[in-house]
Amino acid sequence: MQEKNALNYDYTVAKCFTYATILFGIIGMLIGVVIAYQMAFPQLNYLAGEYGTYSRLRPLHTSGVIFGFLLSGIFATWYYVGQRVLKVSMAESKFLMVIGKLHFWVYMIVILTAVVTLFMGISTSKEYAELEWPLDIAVVVLWVLWGISIFGLVGIRREKTLYISMWYYIATFLGVAMLWIFNNMEVPTFLVAGMGKWYHSVSMYAGTNDAMVQWWYGHNAVAFVFTVPIIAMIYYFLPKESGQPVFSYKLSLLSFWGLMFVYLWAGGHHLLFSTVPDWVQTMGSIFSVILILPSWGSAINMLLTMKGQWGQLKENPLVKFMVLASTFYMLSTLEGPIQAIKSVNALAHFTDWIPGHVHDGTLGWVGFMTMAALYHMAPRMYKRELYSKKLMDSQFWLQTTGIVMYFSSMWIAGITQGMMWRATDQFGNLAYSFIDTVTVLIPYYALRATGGLLYLIGFFMFTYNMYKTMTASKAIASEPQNASPMAA
Amino acid sequence: MSMETIRELQAYGYIFFTVFLAVILYAYIYHLYRAEKVGTRNYEKYADMALRDNIDDVPVEAVPPVNKEKE
Amino acid sequence: MFHWLERNPFFFAVGVFLVVAYAGVVTILPDFMESARPVAGTKPYTVLELAGRQIYIKDSCNACHSQLVRPFKSETDRYGMYSLSGEYAYDRPFLWGSKRTGPDLMRVGNYRTSDWHEYHMAKPTDVVPGSIMPAYKHMFSNNADIETAYAEAYTVKTVFNVPYDKPDMPKLGTFDQAKKEAFDAAAVIVADMKSTEVKEAFKRGEIKEIVALIAYLNSLK
Repeated sequence: MQEKNALNYDYTVAKCFTYATILFGIIGMLIGVVIAYQMAFPQLNYLAGEYGTYSRLRPLHTSGVIFGFLLSGIFATWYYVGQRVLKVSMAESKFLMVIGKLHFWVYMIVILTAVVTLFMGISTSKEYAELEWPLDIAVVVLWVLWGISIFGLVGIRREKTLYISMWYYIATFLGVAMLWIFNNMEVPTFLVAGMGKWYHSVSMYAGTNDAMVQWWYGHNAVAFVFTVPIIAMIYYFLPKESGQPVFSYKLSLLSFWGLMFVYLWAGGHHLLFSTVPDWVQTMGSIFSVILILPSWGSAINMLLTMKGQWGQLKENPLVKFMVLASTFYMLSTLEGPIQAIKSVNALAHFTDWIPGHVHDGTLGWVGFMTMAALYHMAPRMYKRELYSKKLMDSQFWLQTTGIVMYFSSMWIAGITQGMMWRATDQFGNLAYSFIDTVTVLIPYYALRATGGLLYLIGFFMFTYNMYKTMTASKAIASEPQNASPMAA
Repeated sequence: MSMETIRELQAYGYIFFTVFLAVILYAYIYHLYRAEKVGTRNYEKYADMALRDNIDDVPVEAVPPVNKEKE
Repeated sequence: MFHWLERNPFFFAVGVFLVVAYAGVVTILPDFMESARPVAGTKPYTVLELAGRQIYIKDSCNACHSQLVRPFKSETDRYGMYSLSGEYAYDRPFLWGSKRTGPDLMRVGNYRTSDWHEYHMAKPTDVVPGSIMPAYKHMFSNNADIETAYAEAYTVKTVFNVPYDKPDMPKLGTFDQAKKEAFDAAAVIVADMKSTEVKEAFKRGEIKEIVALIAYLNSLK
């Protein structure tokens, strides 16, 4: 090992994934805004022939933001936080450095191939698992690489006990591995029949079973990609940025085990009133409500960490981002269980309220937290202060407005739609034909798309701010201990 | 195995494991608070791992050099 | 014990995995024996229908259309009999969808016809004024992939014992036989259609995507 004062954390891989986060964030969100406007203005479906229809783009949007934007965000923060809480540098192991770089390049190849194949319509149709079998295997390879990187770094650590963020990263790794493998079990048809497209496959499960596995996956993909790693981020970045220790470390440990156990049972709430066994549905419903406890355990813990320090909200936009993220986390983990109650679900299922719910979680909680994390990392990785606080502030308000427009319009749209589907006239006949329930929603669709557009503009502001921070901002002499330095 | 047997095993499996985990969880809560009261361990100090995370900061709990080979 | 777990990453990971995996073992696995049984009258898809189903997936129709009628009066009035588990026994993958931007299609074969679908896919607003569904003109020029559809049918027959070639069940046979069957079935649909492009192509021995898709949609009953 080198001299102690010569040793530094090595952020090479974290930087690579930071660029990937920004790149795929732009792609994924841009497509999201396009498809949102397509619902209000169907003419926009014809911009790119066969490849530009809503139906082709929708899987691209979901996979793009989940596996492009967010996953690279998770990896970027892992390669940053992992070293720091274990107090060991990537530079200390050539092997881990190589694995890290390999991880990045395999990831880029997989995701870019995924973008191309989804444009071509190569899909298994299972939501958030649309990729065909060759890519599924490639994803497994990339996941194993990440695993080596996690456990390799843990193996050479100086800090004996694992910080709570590490728990959450490890859980992300294990949870996604299990879900991904079981939901993507499929038989390549070419290998059996010797003809047809070589990349085509057929699901190992049929009908109701397939639905159960899919929503066990689908729901918990939300758990282990949208929740668990984001909690890992906030448990590190909020205390670090604000200089406040976690309000209750014990509460964070308890919430962890609670979340791990309860989340997995709740998948059945996607299948209420379907043909899966009744008890699975009821169990899904009950556990969804129980899920409020561990979720709020983490969220309240975060808010209480800021106890007595609320002044920081005024001075530091990063704290503002993170506190609002926790608040949105509380909102969507309350909204979710409400939607999982059977009688509410009867109304809400299949309506726009569901994407509305997803987006106040993803835009508010996931998006804000990821951007705040990257903002926090930038001065430390590039040794420059953040380029503009003002820009950050306006981005915050623009995006918050966007989110509010998004979910309020979708609440109204969803409930309107659900009520109209079931409305009857005085003789008990259905009051509306289906198309009536579509045309009535168009103003809300336009409003939603505009909300999304505001968020996208905010993301461009983030990109610009990051770019300027990397290239043109004032250099800083030593690493800031807590609050990130930023120019007005 | 008939479907009934499977259903029965499933129900027992569910109940016992859930009860078992609930017991563990409460034991864990008890352990957390007791360890702190008795003074064997202060869990709250682990929060410092995020705050004092420079590479030359003293670890909250260092890995003893002997164990390093094993890990 | 607890503290030991907190500093031994390997056993910690094992513990997390057990807690996480347990729900799946209890809720999902046991039902695999039961709910895959088809209800009487449910038949596997023919090769042409499967080709259409692959197009349905390729263009993500399931992003906006569900195939699941819930047991409410408002739904059975609108879409027909509520869904039964056994009706999906041959659906690999399932296509229940999660959003109804458009109506449910579980039983669309009962109330729509080949020519309705043809007009609708070419220009949705012609048959449903106000529709926000995109037109799928490329389905009139792209060819359906009968080979891959056969490969899929052959695979499920071999690997999952789907009862092709059994009494009262669809015939599969060799690829040449299956191809002939597919063309015979396609001929009936093409005869109902108006598009000269599709008709000309069929004479040349090509089945367009739209034909296969209509075969699939008509099979949804």
